[in-house]
Amino acid sequence: MTLFSKIRGLPVVTLGEANELGVVRSLTIDVVSGLIGQVRLSPARGRKEIAIDWSALHVIGPDAVLVRSGTALDTAPPAAPVDILGIRVLTEDGDERGTVRDIAFDPVTGRVEKWCTALGDIPGDRLVGLGHYALVVRTG
Amino acid sequence: MSELMSARDLGGRPVVTLGGEAVARVKDTVFDGPGGRVAGFTLNGRGLLAGPLKQSLPWSAVHSLGRDAVMIIGRGVLAEPAAVIARGEAAHGRVLGARVLTDGGTEVGTVLDLVVEAGISGRVVGFRIAARQSLESGSKRRRRKVYVPRGETLAVSGQALVIPADATRFVADDLAGFAAQVEAFRLRDTADRTEPTP
Repeated sequence: MTLFSKIRGLPVVTLGEANELGVVRSLTIDVVSGLIGQVRLSPARGRKEIAIDWSALHVIGPDAVLVRSGTALDTAPPAAPVDILGIRVLTEDGDERGTVRDIAFDPVTGRVEKWCTALGDIPGDRLVGLGHYALVVRTG
Repeated sequence: MSELMSARDLGGRPVVTLGGEAVARVKDTVFDGPGGRVAGFTLNGRGLLAGPLKQSLPWSAVHSLGRDAVMIIGRGVLAEPAAVIARGEAAHGRVLGARVLTDGGTEVGTVLDLVVEAGISGRVVGFRIAARQSLESGSKRRRRKVYVPRGETLAVSGQALVIPADATRFVADDLAGFAAQVEAFRLRDTADRTEPTP
């Protein structure tokens, strides 16, 4: 299990050419599958912001994230992406459960295992929805 | 029993979809008097200064009423204002200030606020009232603000509410204490109904 806070800021490098594409900035989550959809990067100088599909990652190492060469880079990321860190957590009953401090995920599958909040961890599979206002979880 | 909330405190509460988007804020709670329930909510736009929305939220479309948000499945459940206001025979505004009478004919006070149950029931469980001195012998000094259970045999019009006389034995000073009183009043109701009639 890996924490998002451990990979944020890591350089993202292509496997064949060792091009540095940028550094890890945020994640997008696919609500239906509970998997990380994309890794979004703060681009290297002079480039447009990019997002990389999870499936294009080769490995998440201690010092860098390696992506396969020739990966199709999505240079037109979806409008107004949600920054998950700091977003409020609401149960589907309408009660707040703090804010997201960190995301624990499986580094191989990209499955979200836990949402870490100041009020404790919430299992990843309780996710109901993720919008600009809140991350919504089943009460459990 | 679910947590209790004052209707007045619901004003401004965000209306949030299960997808995590805030789509509106509660403007006012509309009360279905005869049903003893919340009929729904009128809405304001999202920003602090946003005006009234031309949409309302019928109670049937509420996923859950929570401490921090009113949850709905999605934006699509919002309806035109008539869907809520027509259903609320005595709208919130008209119940406030109404006289509260017991079924024994004693006036016990006037309605300041409604108390509703959190969750999915939409039940109005009682009222916050400005109590007359007749309500409690212990307080001669001034009018008190107390919570009183609604009872099941509620009659309501724009001018007055009628509650069971024995509901006045289950008043509380705050919402926390009121939850226990409502529960005690309910159990008492049940006990009465199951007793064989002489």
